[in-house]
Amino acid sequence: MTALSSVSFKTPQLVARIIRSVIGIIVVVWAAMRIYNVLFVNQAYGLDTWVRFGITGLIIGGMYALIAIGYTLVYGILGMINFAHGEVMMIGTFGGYFVLEALAAIPAPTLANPDLNFLNAQPLLSILLAFLAGTLAASLMGYLLEKIAYRPLRNAPRLAPLISAIGASIFLQNAVQLLFSPQLRDYTNPDALARGTGWSIEIAGSQVLVTYTGVLSFVLSILLMVGLYVLVQKTRIGRAMRAVAQDKKTAALMGVDVDAVISQTFIISGALAGAAGVMWGIHNGLVYYFLGFIPGIKAFTAAVLGGIGNIPGAMLGGLVLGLVESIGPAALGIDFQLKDVIAFLILVLVLIFRPSGLLGAASVEEKL
Amino acid sequence: MNKRFFVFVALILVMVIASCSPSAGSNPSGAGAAPAECASDAFGCAKIAPGQTIKIGMGAPMTGGDASFGIDISQGGRIAVTDAGELEGFKFELIAEDDSGTAEGGAAVANKLVADPTVVAIAGHIFSGATAAAIPIYEKVGLPMLSPSATNPPLAEMGSKVFNRIAFTDAIQGKFAGTYLYEKLGIRKLAVMHDGSDYGKGLAEIVRDTFTSLGGEVVSFSAITSKESDYTAPLAAVAATQPEALYFGGYTQDGAILANNMKQTGLENAIFFGCDGTYGQDFLDRTGANGNGAYAVSLTPADTDSKVKFDAAYEAAFGVKPGTLSPYTWNGYDVVAALIAQVKAVAIKGSDGNLYIPRGALVNAVRNLKDYQGLTGVFTCDAKGECNASGPLLVTIQDGKWVVAE
Repeated sequence: MTALSSVSFKTPQLVARIIRSVIGIIVVVWAAMRIYNVLFVNQAYGLDTWVRFGITGLIIGGMYALIAIGYTLVYGILGMINFAHGEVMMIGTFGGYFVLEALAAIPAPTLANPDLNFLNAQPLLSILLAFLAGTLAASLMGYLLEKIAYRPLRNAPRLAPLISAIGASIFLQNAVQLLFSPQLRDYTNPDALARGTGWSIEIAGSQVLVTYTGVLSFVLSILLMVGLYVLVQKTRIGRAMRAVAQDKKTAALMGVDVDAVISQTFIISGALAGAAGVMWGIHNGLVYYFLGFIPGIKAFTAAVLGGIGNIPGAMLGGLVLGLVESIGPAALGIDFQLKDVIAFLILVLVLIFRPSGLLGAASVEEKL
Repeated sequence: MNKRFFVFVALILVMVIASCSPSAGSNPSGAGAAPAECASDAFGCAKIAPGQTIKIGMGAPMTGGDASFGIDISQGGRIAVTDAGELEGFKFELIAEDDSGTAEGGAAVANKLVADPTVVAIAGHIFSGATAAAIPIYEKVGLPMLSPSATNPPLAEMGSKVFNRIAFTDAIQGKFAGTYLYEKLGIRKLAVMHDGSDYGKGLAEIVRDTFTSLGGEVVSFSAITSKESDYTAPLAAVAATQPEALYFGGYTQDGAILANNMKQTGLENAIFFGCDGTYGQDFLDRTGANGNGAYAVSLTPADTDSKVKFDAAYEAAFGVKPGTLSPYTWNGYDVVAALIAQVKAVAIKGSDGNLYIPRGALVNAVRNLKDYQGLTGVFTCDAKGECNASGPLLVTIQDGKWVVAE
């Protein structure tokens, strides 16, 4: 009886492991052959093209990382996926959009240029204000979201807040569509930061453009990530967040205001998503109600890729996903239409071989 | 009581006989009123009695989500009716019936129009599905059709004698674009891209095949994911093949981003060549200076005198600018005007004061339409009923405006 049960218990496990290994080897060998083919046989792309892919990947990856941190923070503390997070980012994009539009409407004439507006007279201040507005709007959204959609369900079964999150996502999309019309709007950048302008760098005999907006986005996202790390590791708020993540009840017994900490988490993750949203607008240029959906899904993927609940994991996951999306199809020599397939395939592979993500999900003891 | 009843019955009988008698008189063997053409015509004649109008039928979506198409095209047609004036004292009339753009609706409207003997031609239908369902019904009674907007290529391959259209199909547009790129612009290395939709992919494949058959080299053929915000990665891959131009089959949202991103991915000097999906004010707004030199296909005709006159008449009559409800306003005018012109060519005034329109002759006349100058181009129908011989109108952006390309 015991022998039988142990056999029937072990064999499927072994079979599963063999199947996994075989699939893994096949996929890796296939990918290696394709990459070898592209790099050395066809030599389809020069160094300049690879640099271009890399730049695109890093810029978008930085934004994914910022949004992914929001998923990971909330998961770490509440153990739920905030599926309305993409919409929080979209709200941030709109916040920045309206501030830039308003600033562009304020005249700031000088003797040399009577048509000058505030936006172009003070580009740095304007961008700063736009980021401020975007982060504020998104933090407020995050705060309200938690208050209205998640707090009443704090002790409900696990699926209830998930459904509530999806509902909130749909509600926010439609609310924004009704408020601001479904039309696509163009982000107004200051002339100094016009999209498509930047530094030209000569690589392998061709000029590679590094856009100002891209550099701004990337540098800012790195700064914000460093800032967040310091916040979580070195400050009182961060310590409280880590405590709540480890054990809500014990943290409460030690005098930590759990509700306040959860609210703060949503505000922080909203602020990061809002900043990513304004970057998205400034760099990519379009803003509309459905804008947050795809980055939201991608950032969720990035968070899982890096190990959900793990902050450095979300950062790494975001950057890796951005790079895989932009380099992957070219490296494998397939159509860019399939870039999402590659991104999600990588996710599936990571989940098969490292179910806890690249850096490992935080277990209950070491969340965050 | 009895007497009254008999008088009443007699009166009814007289009325019935009276109402029947004209048809007896119209018998070719009768008083010789109907012209001889009617006897020899395969489908006989439509007889318009004095006081009746010559009716042009139209099947169009007049209600529902696509109603703006039917309303707009029929309004364009009404202007053509006004412009047509009278024929031997007979007025024209356009009757637009609601087929809601569906196949069932198309068949229902066709059966209704066929039942009216004073309907002589059909300006329509508007949507391809409704048109396909209506063709066999008109075929039986010999009602010629001239569709302003049914673009589905197989419609003209059904072997129908009555179906004709002035809308250019995607196949014609793709061939036209490929030829233009190779011959007029002198492009030899072309990159082709599409958004993965049936429409975009179909166009892209036709352009690729046309361009290759002319001797050009298609250096890259790729698809992008629609509705993304950033296409620098796929464009960088295209840039590595160093094309002189990029053809894109898809819509404005993606096309505008592509045109913008091209300027930052090493495709600064390549021409962006779009399709009718990337034409419009939105494209100008979103690309700004990056759009200069881009090409697209326009459904809005060039500003000729007759077009300006039509625009003014349309706006005065309906309070909106043509082209705002649908891009087919001018096509609506053209089909009705062309049909009326052909009716005028074949109509015969009978000695009895009735107007006779030989149906078979009219079917042939519409199919044989030749060098007809409409607002949207010159129409000459081929053996299959494709009448848009002048091809699509290519436009390019100069100084932030769409202008007609040479």
